[in-house]
Amino acid sequence: MGFLSQLSIAPRSAADAPLHSTVARFVRRVEAMPPGVCPVVAHASLLHAGAAQSCGKCVPCRDGLPRLAAKVDSIAACSSDENSLAECRQLAEMIRDTSDCAIGYEAATAFLDGLSQFAEEFESHVKLKSCEAGIGQSVPCETMCPAHVNAPGYIALVAEGRYAEAVNMVRKDNPFPTACAFVCEHPCEERCRRMLIDAPVNIRGIKRFAVDQAPADTVPAAPRGVDTARTVAVIGGGPSGLTCAYFLALMGHRVTVFEARRQLGGMMRYGIPAYRFPRERLDEDIRGILESGTITIRCEEKIDALRMREIADTYNAVYVAIGAQKGKTLAIPGADAQGVMSAVELLGAIGDEEYPDFTGKDVVVVGGGNVAMDCARTAVRAGAKTVSVAYRRRKEDMTALASEVEAAVAEGVEMMVLQAPDSIEVDEAGHCRALVCQPQYIGPVKRGRPSPVAADKPPLRIPADVILIAVGQDIDAAPFEECSMSTTWGRFDATDDLHALGGPPNVFVGGDCQTGPATVIRAIAAGKVAARNIDEYLGYHHVLACDVEAPPAHSNDRTPYGRVELVERLARERRSDFDDVELGMSFEEVRQECGRCLRCDCFGAGTTEGGRQQYE
Amino acid sequence: MSEQGNEPMRELRKGCLEEQARAREVRLTIDNVPVAVAAGSTLLEAAQHAGVHVPTLCYLKERSAVASCRMCVVEVEGEQHPLPACATVARDGMRVVTHSEKLNAYRKLTLELIVSSKGAALASLACDTSADANACTSELSRLCHELEVEEPLEFAQVKEIPLVEGNPFLAYDPNLCIECQRCVGACNSAARNHSLQTRMRGSHVLIDAPFGQNWRETECESCGNCAQACPTGALSLRKRGRRALAEPEGRAGESAHTVRTTCPHCGVGCQLELEVRNGRIVSSKGAFGASNRGLLCVKGRSASFDFVSSPDRLTTPLVRNKETGELESSTWDEALRLVASRFSHLRDEYGGRSIAAFACSRSTNEDVYLFQKMARVALQTNNVDSCARV
Amino acid sequence: MTNSIDDIVNDADVIMLVGSNPEEAHPVIGMRIRQAVERGCRLIVVDPRKIGLAAKADIHLRVRPGTNVAFANGMVNLLISLGLADASFVRERTEGFGIMQAQVEEFTPDYVARVCGIAVQDLVAAAKMYGTAERAAILYCLGVTEHTTGTDGVMALSNIAMVTGNLGKPGAGMNPLRGQNNVQGACDMGAGPDDYPGYQKVTNPAARKKFEQAWGVPLPEWSGTKATECFPAMLAGEIKGLYLFGEDPVRTDPDTHHVLRSLEALDFFVVQDLFLTETAKLADVVLPGRCYAEKEGTFTNTERRVQRVRKAVDGPEGSRLDTQVFTEVMNRMGYAQPELSAAELMDEIASLTPTYAGIHHARLDGEAYDRGLQWPCLDDGHPGTPVLHISSFSGSVGAFSTPDYIRSAELPDEEYPFVLMTGRVLYQYNACAMTGRTEETSEIEGSSFIEINTHDAGALGIEDGQRVQVTSRRGSVETTARVSDKTNPGETWMPFHFQDGNANWLTHAALDRVSKAPEYKVCAIKIAPK
Repeated sequence: MGFLSQLSIAPRSAADAPLHSTVARFVRRVEAMPPGVCPVVAHASLLHAGAAQSCGKCVPCRDGLPRLAAKVDSIAACSSDENSLAECRQLAEMIRDTSDCAIGYEAATAFLDGLSQFAEEFESHVKLKSCEAGIGQSVPCETMCPAHVNAPGYIALVAEGRYAEAVNMVRKDNPFPTACAFVCEHPCEERCRRMLIDAPVNIRGIKRFAVDQAPADTVPAAPRGVDTARTVAVIGGGPSGLTCAYFLALMGHRVTVFEARRQLGGMMRYGIPAYRFPRERLDEDIRGILESGTITIRCEEKIDALRMREIADTYNAVYVAIGAQKGKTLAIPGADAQGVMSAVELLGAIGDEEYPDFTGKDVVVVGGGNVAMDCARTAVRAGAKTVSVAYRRRKEDMTALASEVEAAVAEGVEMMVLQAPDSIEVDEAGHCRALVCQPQYIGPVKRGRPSPVAADKPPLRIPADVILIAVGQDIDAAPFEECSMSTTWGRFDATDDLHALGGPPNVFVGGDCQTGPATVIRAIAAGKVAARNIDEYLGYHHVLACDVEAPPAHSNDRTPYGRVELVERLARERRSDFDDVELGMSFEEVRQECGRCLRCDCFGAGTTEGGRQQYE
Repeated sequence: MSEQGNEPMRELRKGCLEEQARAREVRLTIDNVPVAVAAGSTLLEAAQHAGVHVPTLCYLKERSAVASCRMCVVEVEGEQHPLPACATVARDGMRVVTHSEKLNAYRKLTLELIVSSKGAALASLACDTSADANACTSELSRLCHELEVEEPLEFAQVKEIPLVEGNPFLAYDPNLCIECQRCVGACNSAARNHSLQTRMRGSHVLIDAPFGQNWRETECESCGNCAQACPTGALSLRKRGRRALAEPEGRAGESAHTVRTTCPHCGVGCQLELEVRNGRIVSSKGAFGASNRGLLCVKGRSASFDFVSSPDRLTTPLVRNKETGELESSTWDEALRLVASRFSHLRDEYGGRSIAAFACSRSTNEDVYLFQKMARVALQTNNVDSCARV
Repeated sequence: MTNSIDDIVNDADVIMLVGSNPEEAHPVIGMRIRQAVERGCRLIVVDPRKIGLAAKADIHLRVRPGTNVAFANGMVNLLISLGLADASFVRERTEGFGIMQAQVEEFTPDYVARVCGIAVQDLVAAAKMYGTAERAAILYCLGVTEHTTGTDGVMALSNIAMVTGNLGKPGAGMNPLRGQNNVQGACDMGAGPDDYPGYQKVTNPAARKKFEQAWGVPLPEWSGTKATECFPAMLAGEIKGLYLFGEDPVRTDPDTHHVLRSLEALDFFVVQDLFLTETAKLADVVLPGRCYAEKEGTFTNTERRVQRVRKAVDGPEGSRLDTQVFTEVMNRMGYAQPELSAAELMDEIASLTPTYAGIHHARLDGEAYDRGLQWPCLDDGHPGTPVLHISSFSGSVGAFSTPDYIRSAELPDEEYPFVLMTGRVLYQYNACAMTGRTEETSEIEGSSFIEINTHDAGALGIEDGQRVQVTSRRGSVETTARVSDKTNPGETWMPFHFQDGNANWLTHAALDRVSKAPEYKVCAIKIAPK
């Protein structure tokens, strides 16, 4: 008897299995795309990658992609004329519209998107025969950090056990080394070159080790400048305001910080729960800042329009950094019931040590961001019987860090995904009884995110004694708008150098109130930029001394290692207290992790002209 | 059951079948022309039905519809992007546009890519004529003529790849190959020989033609259906090349023409197109007959016409010389007179039983009919037979 | 064929291929069987050799040469005992079932397996596969017919198809693959000793009267002698004159010595051919004819499909159209035959042959250009008949026959220990008169060889590619050994195309008692290394 075909469990291509590791490498290389790469070159390589994937069947993909890639190579080399852009577009449109499968048409679509997105770059290549001026590769971590902290420098210092100097190296650009050691979303790690070999260096973990060894308030601040007798008012004592105050004070200016709440710290105190960032550690940073020079703190002073005008008249310059303090509400029936509160309310109260008691209660949190996770985990610690998170998209669409979601789940929080709040059930006493949700299914991608669509399923009733709304924050800009400061979509308008538009001429604005709710490090970066520009505005050009230098680099250790991740305390223990959940690295871990740093400040583009992003 | 009793039943069944046939029909418009085609028909078939010409290159009826060349892309109302007509099944209510500025531009651009995908040899073959579509020597050049594609200036690759030759009948010139995979379809989907495949992967795809020096080790049956499928001549019949070269067109004032006939070898009855130049057959191609559906075997394609013009064909009757015992040339009259008189003698002397007549199972019905008639009426014998048994 | 290639390829659930190697002998049908198999059609190959299609078959029964009747009777017995017979078909459309059933009862699986040299479970599996199929087609060829029991083999196979109702529907039937391009047509046209065109019997007075009226002369009343029986008649002096049109029996007929002696005994011998063949060299008169590319006409293929032959080129100067030659001979022998074109001859055929009544060149050049016309084609409006016996058999009911298994005429013995089978290869056709003149075919396959089983070759000390002397009781040839497992131990195979070692010096002229076809497929030989 014959067999038509004999099957085998072996893959058809023996190379497919080993190719898997090649693909993983490919992915890592793409992810490690150095900042500053020319977009034309990036698109050329994307096209080459597309051509490499062609099966060879249909002409548009098989012959078209290599041809298009070659044409774009030629544009990248500035050796094409102006017609070439039109030719490329024509060819790409043909490939997009006639390729048989996604390998072809997506490659062309991506290129066409790039052609629009980077129109100026493409134009400049064919018309001026040049890449955009002044742009080149630079040290990835330092470039990606909004505050451009010299990460390779402080990692090298930590490696040598020089923790205080490491802290000061951070403080040169960022007066919140402790805050960033605990809660920074670490964009510095996004393009870490180490990814080419194994995985990004755990930069935040190394910083945590440094501030654990040398608390910020024990490290003497950099020498302050000579008093200028110029006065600057900072409205808002959060990360942006305090950063601005820190640098202005170092320059010798006299700073007054106005803070509406009882204590300084802004969202770091009134938004981020203590188990993520213990209050005493926040205070270390604040003490370090206040020691930098002449800073007067005026808490519990809420600034209205009248006061703002006075301040603008009184002070030589003003920095408005009031953050985004107003919790967004849900426009659903029952939203005003008792038991429904915003995340801002809950977390704000906790900031002043007013802990709620949810013992025996069913708590539902609405939202999928980090704030929603903070609320949920806080509710767990406040003794809630059940804590659920209702979110209208999928778990993978949540804007919260994956690690936050994972931690919340570990602590017993139930993620009820694809549930869009529809109404709140209220009892006779006017107290909420349940959140009623309309189930969703995930649909088409809109503006880069998959959007939820109402599913043909019956509503879901989630019993709730407490409903916490964590669907974003708004800016309370009204008093400042009265002073003619202009806003768009509720956010302050400003020039690139953070000079506020409208309003008095000496006002600068930055942080969440200008960008919308963002991260601590972006607020810090804004404060730093504002301080520099206010200094210039006041007619100075202070150069801040940094008496720390990065040690010379060792040669790269090319051996692949695993990345050391910070571990958390056991969920069953940590869920009943507000103590720090995260455990720092051990000495041997931090030594290995520091050893993985490739010192991009000393190798590659880092040593070229323009290869650093440092203020002098 | 009697035929009569079945009648109403049959009528009913006929009605049902007609209804089913209507249900299995889809209605759509091609360039605003309404057409109805059988369910499962492609847009290309529907267009052909509507009398609308859609350019094709890689498509080959019943062989290959891999939709690789994208020449036949058409726009369908409501679809996000153009679709290949050869590989898209017609659905009810479709509104199809086969020609538009955009489609024409896409087709031209794609064909330019194809033409310039190799070296100068392919480009000049493809664009071998500027004036007369009839003068085009290949299907590719006819298409270039139709879409007004001119010889490109830049080529993807100018390095010449060596020919694949060894098989006595077939050769492959990768420099002329556009990887349309029609040959792959012919070998794998039609002849089902599975000896011709694609080699290398992705943009570097090449046809792996089993005609190289190791041709004897391959499963190839030299049927040449691949070469017939080839639109450029990359896969070619070596003999046809030589013969066509030996018989340049118009030498005797007679242009090349083809004659549709039936293969003279086995009993399958394959339909052939014989290509005739200057009174000589130079090649044989499979026609779409009911038995062979365009296929031929090595004998039908390559060994069905050399013998016709073989120099050892008999050109004169031969008669055995009684004295020498040798066969010698004679006139027809002499030979026929001898045949008639000797057979008449046997018939008249010993009766028809003394004569036998064996016909040929390879000649035509008309020949055999007249031969057996001759035997029965003239030779007066029923000792008639053919080589049917041997 | 009762059916057409198309419906078998497209509709059959099972194809049972018996004694046929279409990949070599009917290559395009070979391709289309491969299409069917890849579509999902099951394939049963019944053949002593490992032919190419055996590798694609679900079941390959390597029956001993000459045991087809035993195999087929065994199949029928199994089909009945497994309850796979189509009772209503048998009841309504056949007769003689009871007698047949009694006959095949003794062909038990064990007995058949022993006779055929196959495994019982394979035979049972084949019966189940064939018997459970909705549509099962039997395709067979010379491996069935070229035996002394060839006719019995065909009848026994027919019983398989009839008992399961596999007749008269698409994808089924009894389908002989006819060898030459027009062997079907030649038989249809009355090139047989018993038949006028359309199988109208010469012994039937009504038929004879009809042709006498049409042709205007009295016709012989007696049944003629079959070609293979004519050779002994020539030796005996009973047949003195032979008009041979386009055949080369010296190369193609069995027992070449015998053929040569017979032809030499003739008083007068005419050959009409394209070339001076081995046979023509013996003739008294040789007349040069025209080939298919030089004339108009029709061929009838194995599916009963009549298709056109068209003139592409003029014949060589000095040759004449064959019909012109026949007309001339008829006229000179006193019969007034007008000179007719091929189209006019077909009209005459249609007027005398009911099954061809609707076949005319004009139709074949018009509406039936691509599909031809399959007889029976009963009138000018008749579309032809792709599948025979749809609602009834031509004789109203199908009769079961009761063939018994009889061994081949010459079996191996101590002196001649091997069975020799003969057949065709892909690259040549018959005596190579046509294919041999294409030099490339001969480059690929141009000389004689014999396939010997590896085990036997080892015992004889013969290596692959070695020259060997092959001898039968009738003759001896030198050829080249191809050693492989393609043939079973004790069995050998030779092509008959090649004059450098033609198998027909060895073959046995034992004839089937009905069809008088020679037993090309079995004779006994011995082999010696050179």
